Amino acid sequence: MATDTLKKTSGGGGLRRLLLDNGALTALIVLVIAMSALSGDFLTADNLLNVGVQAAVTAILAFGVTFVIVAAGIDLSVGSVAALSATVLAWTAAEGGVPVPVAVLLAVATGIACGLVNGFLVSYGKLPPFIATLAMLSVGRGLSLVISQGSPIPFPDSVSHLGDTLGGWLPVPVLVMVVMGLITAFVLGRTYIGRSMYAIGGNEEAARLSGLRVKRQKLAIYAFSGLFAAAAGIVLASRLSSAQPQAAQGYELDAIAAVVIGGASLAGGTGKASGTLIGALILAVLRNGLNLLSVSAFWQQVVIGVVIALAVLLDTVRRKAGAAPAPAGASGGGKGKQAVTYLIAAVVAVAVAGATSLLHGGSDSGAKQKVGLSLSTLNNPFFVQIRAGAEAEAEKLGVDLTVTDAQNDASQQANQVQNFTSEGLSSVIVNPVDSDAAGPSVRSANKADIPVVAVDRGVNKADTAALVASDNVEGGELGAKALAEKLGGKGTIVVLQGQAGTSASRERGAGFAAGLKKYPGIKVVAKQPADFDRTKGLDVMTNLLQAHPGIKGVFAENDEMALGAIKALGAKAGKSVQVVGFDGTPDGLKAVQDGTLYASVAQQPRQLGRIAVDNAVRAAEGKKTEETVKVPVKVVTERNVAGFDG
Amino acid sequence: MSDRVESDELLRIEGIRKTFPGVVALDGVDFDLRRGEVHVLLGENGAGKSTLIKTLSGAHTPDAGRILVGGEEVRINGAQDSERLGIATIYQEFNLVPDLTVAENIFLGRQPRRLGMIDRKRMDADAAVLLERVGVDVSPRTRVRELGIARLQMVEIAKALSLDARVLIMDEPTAVLTSEEVEKLFAIVRRLRADGVGIVFITHHLEEIAALGDRVTVIRDGASVGQVPASTPEEELVRLMVGRSIEQQYPRERPDGTGEALLTVEGLTRDGVFHDIGFEVRAGEVVGIAGLVGAGRTEVVRAVFGADPYDRGSVRVGGTPLRGHDVGAAMAAGIGLVPEDRKGQGLVLDASVEENLGLVTLRSASRAGLVDLRGQHTAAARIAGQLGVRMAGLGQHVRTLSGGNQQKVVIGKWLLADTKVLILDEPTRGIDVGAKVEIYQLINELTAAGAAVLMISSDLPEVLGMSDRVLVMAQGRIAGELAAAEATQDAVMALAVSTPQNDGTEADGGH
Repeated sequence: MATDTLKKTSGGGGLRRLLLDNGALTALIVLVIAMSALSGDFLTADNLLNVGVQAAVTAILAFGVTFVIVAAGIDLSVGSVAALSATVLAWTAAEGGVPVPVAVLLAVATGIACGLVNGFLVSYGKLPPFIATLAMLSVGRGLSLVISQGSPIPFPDSVSHLGDTLGGWLPVPVLVMVVMGLITAFVLGRTYIGRSMYAIGGNEEAARLSGLRVKRQKLAIYAFSGLFAAAAGIVLASRLSSAQPQAAQGYELDAIAAVVIGGASLAGGTGKASGTLIGALILAVLRNGLNLLSVSAFWQQVVIGVVIALAVLLDTVRRKAGAAPAPAGASGGGKGKQAVTYLIAAVVAVAVAGATSLLHGGSDSGAKQKVGLSLSTLNNPFFVQIRAGAEAEAEKLGVDLTVTDAQNDASQQANQVQNFTSEGLSSVIVNPVDSDAAGPSVRSANKADIPVVAVDRGVNKADTAALVASDNVEGGELGAKALAEKLGGKGTIVVLQGQAGTSASRERGAGFAAGLKKYPGIKVVAKQPADFDRTKGLDVMTNLLQAHPGIKGVFAENDEMALGAIKALGAKAGKSVQVVGFDGTPDGLKAVQDGTLYASVAQQPRQLGRIAVDNAVRAAEGKKTEETVKVPVKVVTERNVAGFDG
Repeated sequence: MSDRVESDELLRIEGIRKTFPGVVALDGVDFDLRRGEVHVLLGENGAGKSTLIKTLSGAHTPDAGRILVGGEEVRINGAQDSERLGIATIYQEFNLVPDLTVAENIFLGRQPRRLGMIDRKRMDADAAVLLERVGVDVSPRTRVRELGIARLQMVEIAKALSLDARVLIMDEPTAVLTSEEVEKLFAIVRRLRADGVGIVFITHHLEEIAALGDRVTVIRDGASVGQVPASTPEEELVRLMVGRSIEQQYPRERPDGTGEALLTVEGLTRDGVFHDIGFEVRAGEVVGIAGLVGAGRTEVVRAVFGADPYDRGSVRVGGTPLRGHDVGAAMAAGIGLVPEDRKGQGLVLDASVEENLGLVTLRSASRAGLVDLRGQHTAAARIAGQLGVRMAGLGQHVRTLSGGNQQKVVIGKWLLADTKVLILDEPTRGIDVGAKVEIYQLINELTAAGAAVLMISSDLPEVLGMSDRVLVMAQGRIAGELAAAEATQDAVMALAVSTPQNDGTEADGGH
């Protein structure tokens, strides 16, 4: 009896059934329809290939994580392992002089080795997978910084072709993603290890008592995840032509989200390659579509979070409807459940459409010039100031300005610049996360004849109409001079460094060191990174004070860290210990006024933004622009702070 | 005492009915309890005793029928309700927090407070009074983790008393105790009875009824089938309880002669758990292992199968020694284990029937890492048909199968692997009578085909009905071996509660 009903239902309505069986696919289709309705630029062949490229890295990572999640584990280390593998490849090829194929093998071996360590800790060390892989997340990231000494390493050209297109149109990352997806489907569906993953994830003890060698298989499962992470890292680095020690940060969470959106359960036992691919595509479509629609960078994160929750909710409801073994005659109840599924799908559609149309400010401006601005981050007042200056200038000149936030992720920035290009903007302003890594995406804008203006940092190996920047090296030197003279040329100081691997940190540090050469009485007793972050500045300074209670001065490579250091110094700040910051942010200038911050090497971020937009508009109109526009830096102290306005 | 029946009535249950999806657990149970009596609930496993006490403790709400406490009809919708009505239950698994002290456990959630802080001094003093009343010599400041099972039970009783319980329900309290401890428990129960507490006592040990009980209510297949005085002869109690002849229920076809020894275990010991276990199982033979819960039966068979390690001794299959703690080796030698916890250890619940059936053979069905999916499918279809697994299709998730069909799937995966020695740990627990008989038939077919079966069961009639020989375990040792002809409930129970090898209290230290 029950067999009959099963057969009957599987007979008719193929497409409808496919959609009902796969909540994530429904969500993807709803999203694509919503995006195409809202933006004419979305449903073009070029843009869809863009989406594919942008999904590739997350998808490949997520395929690896699928193995682990199906076996009821978790792998938080994939992002770090990807960065480490790419770094190993670039370093052995560039500095070690190893032939490129061998370097590729070494990178893959690195990924597998990291996976094996994870597997060993989980299987034999009996660590919870969350903790074991969290440890690897930290170790992997640390090792890639150690190997690269914090700086990006150029990727060998022969491997960088992995980031190119095949036959002029098919992007290789998409091809790699599809191949890895097929491998994943094959492993999960047909192989002994794959079938074991489902059994282990479903009930580990039952699997063990049925003779599966659970421990050994876990080793292999995590090794698979490491292998896929290495592949993702190589694709990521080849897209950017540069191996970045800070690449793929936080990607593990995207990968896990993709797997779960694709219908896998974190409790293990379920999950499919196709689902994971759909999950990764949903994330990529969202990011791409929201870029095209010029949704504000902050709201994008909100929308992405809401859609992730809704997509999984849709699948959960669908599953509940399907889990009850439909007895004959219960079709009425089944229909009710289907109705709920459709209802949720409708809610997702309306929510996405509503949110995006609400949030993107009028794309109906016909004749206006359109300019895109990709900022490295908006998590820092300096860049918020750049945006403010740019927006004010855009308003004045009557151009349409779209601002995106790359969240300090070079690959996300590449996606955003690519989206600007395929949208056919009149010009693009880029504030590179990394000068090397911005190269490939700016080159493709060059190809499309879209002028690019770089702001704050330059772009390597690509043409820019103008570089609008303050001189970081000069700023560093000025900062050294200000601090040294205030201390009367002698005393011990510490340096709070910015995020390892960023050009701002390197240049300011180099300038400071050069400036300090003239003052041999000043001794730097410690240099520690605090990642341009106020909280970290506070923590690092507190630690340094324990070790060096007698210091007289602090140089922080930005104001945020300087303000953190001032908090740590307490009453000493501005009295017995002098602090010099960098950037001249509003908070920094206020501290200068209050006397806690002795000086800030002020850039003029509003000016940077203003001049960048100005140059972008001139370039789009075909007018001549200066190759380099230097916006002066200036040491602001209590004496001149009143007259200064960034 | 009996002339004050009406006013003394603490609890009355009339026509209680409770169904779960696909199962009628209780179907018309009547029961009453008076002040100062021990009322024994008697019934087979699965007769409905546990469901009944769970309706009294508020874990289940009945579908029909009335519950009266002190003459008034009540609804018990949760633990709070039953606590308020003065009903306390002591389950077989204790509800104690191992890392809190005895006093903290007794007053958990109701600790006496002063100025918002827990008043430890008063709590310990109150606990000491309760412990004194129970007659157990434990400091209120001892951590529960350090106590043995018997004392844990006393703490549970003290906790029940602290709640001012007038009705105390005890679910098989003697199952885990030694005979000496049982005597102590009886003394406490008698004292409580004298204090006027009404006690519902569940036990499988018929001799305990005469020793302790006042009245007996017999439950069979979810209905109360009789209320008799505790002095009723044991044969009469068994007849009421089973209600049918054991011969029909256990269709064991005993072979004429037995074959060669397939499984030989010698001197198997895991320190502190089981000691010097030795037995053999021959081709075509069913060997039953009887004993109380906690006697070490499951631990022994898991060690034989390689699921857990052992310290000394040997396991041989057909004369070849097996490596210890190596499931793979045991399987390769032809041993299979149907574990006690079917859902937790036997099945991947959210996988299909086909996948579960193919689990054991997954490895042998793989060539160069690739699984022969078609072969697996054919084999699964064949064995499912042979076992008569009732399902919607091979793709159905085993979670949605009935208990009996789930058990067939667990057994089926071992049949596919050509198992020579099948170990069954509580193979029919929680399975309805019809499916039980099908599983017994399966055991017959296995032994007829020359396999050996080692079966653990707490269901005494089952062990007696199905085994060619019965090994009885007590306190981690084999207390004795009985041939089918001489194995009776009394004989088995006598061995099960005995203290093997007369080294008494220091059973652990002897070897």
